Formats: sequence, C-alpha cells, structure tokens
Amino acid sequence: MPIFQDNRKLVSRLGWARALLVISFLLFFVQLWFLSVLNHEHYRQLAEQNRIRIFPQIAPRGLIYDREGRVLVDNVFEFNLLLFREEAHQLEESVQFLTDGLSLDTELIEEILRKAVGYDRYQPVTIKEDLSMEEVAYLLAHQPEHPELGIVKQPRRLYRYGNLAAHMLGYVGEISLEQLQQPEFAQNKPSDLVGQYGVERSHNQTLTGIDGLRRVLVDSRGRNLLDVENVAPIIGKPLQTTIDLDLQEIAESGLGNDTGAVVAFDARTGEIMAMASRPTFDPNQFARNLSPEEWNNLVDQPDSPLQNRVFQNAFSPGSIFKIIMALAGLERSVIDASSVVRCTGEATFYNRRFDCWREAGHGEIALREAIQHSCNIYFYNLGQKLGIQDIETFSRRMGLGVKTGINLLGEVPGLVPSEKWKRRARGEPWYPGETISVAIGQGPLLATPLQLARAISIIATGRVPALHLVELNLDSPKDAIPFVLPVDFVPENLEQIREAMWSVVNDGGTGQAAQVANFEVCGKTGTAQTISRAAREELSEDSAERFEPNAWFVGFAPRNDPEIVVAVIVQRGGAGGGSAARIAGKMFKGYYKKYRTSVSGFAVAFTQDEADKIL
Amino acid sequence: MFGNKSLPKLDYLLFGASLGLAFFGVLGIYSAASSGSPGIFVRQFFWIILGVGVCLIVASVDYHLLVDHGLQFYLCSLGLLGGLLLFGTEINGSKSWIVLGDVQFQPSEIVKLAVILALAQYLGQISRNRLTWQHYTGLSAMILAPVVLIVLQGDLGTALTYLPILAGMTLLVTGLRKKLLLGMLVFSLVVTPLTWLALKDYQKQRILVTLDPDLDPQGIGYQTRQSRIAIGSGGLLGKGVGQGLQSKLGFVPEVHTDFIFALLAEEIGFVGASIILMLYLLVLMRLIHIAETARDRVGILIVTGVASLMFFHVVVNVGMTLGILPAIGIPLPLLSYGGSSIVTTFAALGLALSVFQRRFVY
Repeated sequence: MPIFQDNRKLVSRLGWARALLVISFLLFFVQLWFLSVLNHEHYRQLAEQNRIRIFPQIAPRGLIYDREGRVLVDNVFEFNLLLFREEAHQLEESVQFLTDGLSLDTELIEEILRKAVGYDRYQPVTIKEDLSMEEVAYLLAHQPEHPELGIVKQPRRLYRYGNLAAHMLGYVGEISLEQLQQPEFAQNKPSDLVGQYGVERSHNQTLTGIDGLRRVLVDSRGRNLLDVENVAPIIGKPLQTTIDLDLQEIAESGLGNDTGAVVAFDARTGEIMAMASRPTFDPNQFARNLSPEEWNNLVDQPDSPLQNRVFQNAFSPGSIFKIIMALAGLERSVIDASSVVRCTGEATFYNRRFDCWREAGHGEIALREAIQHSCNIYFYNLGQKLGIQDIETFSRRMGLGVKTGINLLGEVPGLVPSEKWKRRARGEPWYPGETISVAIGQGPLLATPLQLARAISIIATGRVPALHLVELNLDSPKDAIPFVLPVDFVPENLEQIREAMWSVVNDGGTGQAAQVANFEVCGKTGTAQTISRAAREELSEDSAERFEPNAWFVGFAPRNDPEIVVAVIVQRGGAGGGSAARIAGKMFKGYYKKYRTSVSGFAVAFTQDEADKIL
Repeated sequence: MFGNKSLPKLDYLLFGASLGLAFFGVLGIYSAASSGSPGIFVRQFFWIILGVGVCLIVASVDYHLLVDHGLQFYLCSLGLLGGLLLFGTEINGSKSWIVLGDVQFQPSEIVKLAVILALAQYLGQISRNRLTWQHYTGLSAMILAPVVLIVLQGDLGTALTYLPILAGMTLLVTGLRKKLLLGMLVFSLVVTPLTWLALKDYQKQRILVTLDPDLDPQGIGYQTRQSRIAIGSGGLLGKGVGQGLQSKLGFVPEVHTDFIFALLAEEIGFVGASIILMLYLLVLMRLIHIAETARDRVGILIVTGVASLMFFHVVVNVGMTLGILPAIGIPLPLLSYGGSSIVTTFAALGLALSVFQRRFVY
C-alpha cells in the first residue's frame, strides 16, 4: 500500500510541527511572565505616567509690603505653554507646529529644550509665558493633534512700581546649577524661580510658598478627563518692609537720571525708609525669561545698573569724613572749640603743597566754621596732629571699614587705611603725606553711603542704629540685630559737631540747598575727587567730564531728638555738594510734611498731587 | 468496522476551545466598546453566530467534494481579487473591501480557504513525496497570483499570511530537504532585497525598530511599547474587565482588532492571558491531531494548511503584541473584531472538523 506508506511519512513530519508549536508558545509564556509578573511594577509605573499627567501648581511668592501695608510686589496669573516631553512622539513636529502657529523662534525653543535636558523626564518644560487669548484658543483647537502640549495658569511676579526700589526689592530668576547644590535650596528642582537679589533673595525662604500639583487623568490625545488629585499651592508668607513708599518715590524722582544713591532711615530704630540707586532696572524683566540680549544690556552698561550703590559700592567720602575727623580730634583732645587755624588757601606738609577748595582761603578759622565752610586746611592740620593710627581707630569706631550687617547680599566693607594695611596691600611703608589726604576723606579711604549715614546717625543720637528693612524677627538668627559697635562718645563733643552741622545748612554754610522751613536739618556736604587734581588737569574736556567729582550730602533732622538720617551721593555731581544737598532737602521736606505736620500725630499717606507739590 | 455511534462526529475539544476563544474576544470587545462604539460588541456576536453556522455547514460537507473543485474555487477567487482591484472600496489605504451598506467584508480572508483547497488538490495528486522543479514552479505560481493581487490592493499584511500556507503544506510533503532549504535560501536572498525596495518607508521602519527598539522609542516603536506597558501593567491577575485604562484611553492602538491581546492581558492579567494562550495551543494541537488521524493524504494536507494559517496568525499577532516581532497588522483569529476574520477562521475550522468526522473509512 504505497499511499498508506506515504501518509505515514507525512504524519511523522507533523511531530516537527508539534515541536515548533510548543517551542513558540513556551517563548510566549516566558515573555508574558517577564512582562506582567517580573516587571509588573516597572510597567505599572509607566502606565501610570502615561495616563496621569502631573501639572505643577506653582505657588505664588509672598507679597511684599511697605511699612504702611501698601503692596510693592504682587503676583499676576498668566497662561503658560508647557511641553510634556515624554509624550512628544515627534519632537521636531511639535517644534514645527509651535514655530508655525505661534510664530516662535525655532532656535529659541531648541535652546529651551536643550536647557531642560537635565530636568526630570516627566517635568514639563515651559515653552512660552504669558500667552495671549488668541494663542490659547489656537492651542486648544489643536490639542487633539498635540497631546504633548498643555496650558497652565501660573503666577508671575509683578513689581507694581517697576523700577521703584528695584535694588532693594531685588528680583527672581531661575535657580542656578550652583544653587541647586546648596542646602538652602534643597527643596528646589531645576527651573524653579527663586529670589536672586535684594529682599527677594535674602528672604527667599519666607517668600517661597509650597507648590501644589494636579494629577489629571488624560487620554492619549492629552484631553483632561478628571482630576485624580488636586493639591492646592500655598502662597508664600507675606513680608512687611520698613520702606515708606512716599519717601521712596521722592528718593527715586530726586535722583532722576543721575548716577548715584539715596538712603534714608529712622535714626531711632534703624528702620530703612528709602533706598534708591541709579542707574536702575525693571525687576519685571527678570520675572519672565530674560533674553540674553536684555541681560547683556544690563551687564554691559558702564555704570552697572545691577549694583546697589547704597552698600555695594564704596566711594571716597570726601568732606563728609571731616565730621569723623572732628569727633576724633575732640575726643582725643588735640583740638577744642576755640582752637584756631589760619587758612591761606594752601599749606605745605612734608614738603608737599596741599590746597583748600577756596583759593582765597578762609583766614583764621575754628572748628564750627571749618565744618560750616568745609575748610581743608583746618583738617589737614588736625590730621597731622592725630596721625593715621588715631584716624583709623575712630573711623572704625564710627563703623567704617566694616559691613553694617544689613540683611542683603553683596555689601562691601569699604576701606580704612593704616600703616599695617599699606604694608600688606602695597608692600610699602605709610607716607605721612597720605595722612593729610585721608584727613579730608581722600586717599585710599573708601566708604559706602550706608556707612556714612550710620556714622552721621551716631553723631545725631550717640547710639548705633541697628539697620534693617524687614521687621526684625528676633527668633530667627538671620534677622538678629546686626553687629552693633560700642560707642561712648562725650555728649558735649557730639553736640558741638551737631551745632556745626546745623550751621552748614541753616547758617550760610555749604549745604543750604537742604534747608526745610520749620524743620532743623543738620548735615555735611562733600566733594570727592575720583582722580587726583594733577591727573585731571591733563585730561581733555570730554574725559574730564567723566571724572567730575562726586557730590555728597549726609545729614539728619531735626536737630533735637533726631528722627531721620539721609545720605545722598550723586556721581559726577560736581563740586560743592549742591546737587546732593538738593535731593536730601526733598527727602527731609517729604518726611516733615508726612510725619510732622499731621495734627493727630500719625502718618498720612501722600496723594500724588501732594507729592508733586513737595518736589 | 467500528460502530458509527461510538465515534463523536464533532471534535468537541477543538470546537469548545474555539468557542472559548471567541468568548474571550467578545469580552475584550465589550471592554473596548464601552469607551468607544458599542455597536461592535453586538456585531461581533452576529459574526460569531454566523461563523459557527458556516463552520457546522462546512463540517457536514465531505471535504473531498470541496477539494475536487479546488481549482474552480481558486480561479473564482482570483477573479474576485482582480475585480476588487477595479471596483473595491478603499479603507485604511487598502483597496481590499466589499462594502454592502453597513457591512464590510474583506474577501482576501476567505480566499485563503480556496488556496488551501487548491493546494491540497494539487499536492494530493502527486503520489510521490519528492517534488520536481516543475512542481515547485507550479506551487509558486499558485501562491504568487493571489499574493500579487493582494499586494496590489495595498494590504501587505494579509498577503504575507498566504506564504505560511504554502510553506506548511509543501514542507509536509517534502520534509526538510537540503535542496529545498537551499532553494528557499536562494529565493529569500533574491526576494528579500526586492521586497525591501518595494516596502514603504513606514513598513521598513517597523522592521528596523523591532530589531532595535531603542531606535525610536517615541515614534514607530510607540505602539509596541504601549502594548508592552499595557500587558506589563496588568500584572498577575489583571485590573479587571473594563479597567484596562492603558489600553482604553487610546495609548494602545486598535485594541478591538490587532491589539486585543494587549487589552485582555491588561484586564485579566497573566492568568487570563495564559488561559487564552493555552486555548490556542489546544486548538493547534487538536488540528495536528486531526491531521495525524486523517483518512487520506488530502485530509492531512487540508488540516495542515488550516493549522499553518492559524499558527502564523497567532504567532505574528501575539509576537507583535508582546513586542518580540515587528508590528504587522494582522488579526488574532477568533479574538479580533471583524467579520471576515471570524467567518474565515470558523470556516477553516469547519474544514478540519469535516476531516475529523471522516477520519475512518466506513
């Protein structure tokens, strides 16, 4: 039976088919076991991430108020465009869509994505902030084709008054890689906005809220089906500053476009009421992603707008220093009120000629007039009598050469020269002639406006003010009262100097521009050379303008029981200190109007009209 | 001879396992339909009832009768496929559909049966187990004719399913001969590059991505990746019927047809998916058993053709769903939604049952 034989052969081959079948199915069982049992947890998480989309709910930062509870820094909500990268199947397509539809720059998007490479995979990337309503509508219409895109409402920092108090309030910016390593920012993740400057920086922890999140069930087209979890964000704690919005406005408009700085504080409490610096910037620029162009504009400007000249720059104090000299002379008893010096307009010390600012000279002159008219010759002689060591000691007792301890970043200590300093820093001995220059606030001596204001405050009250601009919280070591210097000056000596400073403003002295009716302002003007007179004479007229001397005015009011201290520097403000005195005068006048003319005694806020009238 | 009554007329194991698989299919489609179009659940029921009817009718017909008309069936089929090229309706890029009102039907499925019958007829006439080159030429021509027509319709996946029918039935007759293997090697060396050139870009990508899944995890690899996630997230016992959110929210494509195994594995877990695989294994084992016990050569050939076809469908589909084979869109027999596939599969099983019923010479 040949056919039967043949069929048996066929049947035997079916055994091979059986083997193939069993092997294939064994493979399937192994793979199935591998997927759903061995790696179940891994795939469970992937599935979760697939359909649960986490929308960050960024917490608004705490509001910042002025001393009367007026909002200085606020938050606004805006619609931002997020890209969920793990859902972008074709990133190029998404980028193309955004380039076409929202007229975004391809390179800009690519730059943003490049920066986000280090983020967590599931952390969405903000592509565009502050979408217009048209853009929102367009994106929503195309949501089905682009499930990888999402729109969220997020807070943005709003500095209500633009560049007002910009240096003091500071700004926020994306956390840097270095900051992420620091314990202070342990809670932060890349792309977070944190305080980078000013109060925003120094009180970042207070102002930072707690981010919430929304876990939303989405389908494969990115449509939100329902909220699985919704943890509301918690706004950061509010911060009340000691700034007085009215005085701050006066300081800002007083400076105008001049390069310089103004600071005013309460002599009794150390509460800083105004702090302005020029040139300035608008912190709102930083609240969005600052473009490299804008950043370069800020950084490359010759006068560095990002520096707070109140305490981040030290200047030659010029004649302001004569106040400290006078106190040192009286305390050391090398002079008294009746000591007289004869000023002929020039004098020779150690074989070098030194000039008075008044070529004709001041004639026979005692301490009161020497301060009133800012006579150099008087203080050259005093400097020679004191010597550099006493000058250094008293400068330090008045707070120069050390930081004031104000709770803001970047404070510089200034410089009080000494023999030791010169040997260390320059490898040269101290020349006695240098003491003569230092005696009128020139030479290597450097101080910040804030330091000089504090020194004058010591003259005014005999006490050292604890400078601060946020209500002190004594429980927090960060807010503890700043470093306070021991002072025990003879009250009569202080009174003598105060009397002289009164005459500077009210008795035909150099600071008459700071006069306020019914409010006894005491102060001192200063003119600080930025280069030596000899060097200046060799410059062309154009360059000479760049090295015009700085104008100073530092003072307090009223004469008895002083309440407010003001320091003003106008860079290249010219000789005589007049420009600085005028700004200080506006500050004193504003303070007087607001705090002293109210019958019931408590403060009344200005209306804009009133403010205009004062200015 | 043996008493007629002591012998079961129906292979209850094969029939029962098939109905069991169809039940799982309905379960999956029920779940898929609950978030999409509820109509497909009812329709699938209708197709299964129709399929079972066709199955029993085919089983009751003597397969010799069908094989004797194999050539006629075959030629009619070629005419049908050719006609489709001219008058067919295009759905999803393939012009392989007949649309009658609400009902769509894909003749390239049922044509497979005609090819099985024609091949059985042709191979059955060869009494020796050695094939000449004329035979190989004839066999190749017989399979290439419908394959070319279906490729022209733009349905590469379905065309591919014809090849295992030829391979299975021919290998059964010739065994694994060196010459044949050599011939197949040469054939594939010639055909593979040509096919590669003929493939569309997206088809090339699919093959490349399966070979190297990291090539593009977000793009082409997306479907298989999502399918693996669905299966893996199901775990041992699954999330429960209707709870397979990974599949149902649209992350896995085509959950009611090509990727129904992923949906079921997500919802009924490793245990349920294993039961499905066991049922397939049972069906295929029974088919081999029927072939082994068949009365004659033609019977063996028919059942081998049916088994090859089914085996290929199951392996390619489940392999794709599990992420170990390229994504080729062919349905999972008895589970996937679709009238053409259901009716064709049941009819094919009917052929096997017919062979089973007539396994002894009375």
